[in-house]
Amino acid sequence: MGSSWKSGSMGLERMSVEQLKAVKEQADLEVNLLQDSLNNIRTATTRLEIASSALHDLSHRPPGNHILVPLTASLYVPATLHDSQHVLVDVGTGYFIQKTMPQGKDYCHRKINLLKSNFDQLVDVASKKKSVADEAGVILQAKLKQLASSS
Amino acid sequence: MSSSNLKDLQRELENKANDLSKLQKEIAKNHQMRKKYTVQLGENELVLKELDLLKEDANVYKLIGPVLVKQDLAEANANVRKRIEYISAELKRLDATVQDLEEKQNSKKDTILKLQQRIQSLQTGKGKA
Repeated sequence: MGSSWKSGSMGLERMSVEQLKAVKEQADLEVNLLQDSLNNIRTATTRLEIASSALHDLSHRPPGNHILVPLTASLYVPATLHDSQHVLVDVGTGYFIQKTMPQGKDYCHRKINLLKSNFDQLVDVASKKKSVADEAGVILQAKLKQLASSS
Repeated sequence: MSSSNLKDLQRELENKANDLSKLQKEIAKNHQMRKKYTVQLGENELVLKELDLLKEDANVYKLIGPVLVKQDLAEANANVRKRIEYISAELKRLDATVQDLEEKQNSKKDTILKLQQRIQSLQTGKGKA
């Protein structure tokens, strides 16, 4: 089993029906996991893009502007915008950093680019795994047909 | 005489099989902890990168429960670095443990295989006699 993994597609030909089934199931599982990760990255990227556009909007508002601040999901409190040049950025593990508006926008862009490059890398890995799974499936079908026609 | 021997062997097989499944559960738990620690390590490294980009006078706050507390940049750096060191040490420890567990698992599998062969040969021997 170990050597047949390394020999790639030729190895799949030499495997028995049982081993092929196991390989296909394993590859299918991995493809599903990768798809989930891809979805998570897409969601996170969307949230960051919303944050980025909110920042952009905020930077155009003059201080003293009337705003409504949410205290709960259904309770808003009227307030005036005090400072539209500073933002608190959540960088993870409970740390928040005060940044200026351009720094905040730069942070959003940097994170979005990082996520996009991770997404591209994952898409590569996922498509390779999917082709392995598909190949295993095709060879499995062929072998099953062979067995059925010979018996 | 030989049938009690057979029963003993089968009991031993059951014991070894239980041991094996316990080992496998340990290995699965190990993998889970590994995943958790790896995620935390990644997050902490991101935070460290952001902190490194800051100038000396930048304001850093830490969320402690419902309270945002102002922190010193140097202190925040030190804290995050310590977390990263701790998590890396835990990951190394987990790696060593999982290697050891996998060795034990393989040797258990061998023992079980040998036991099964002995049981088989005993059973076919009895059948012939």
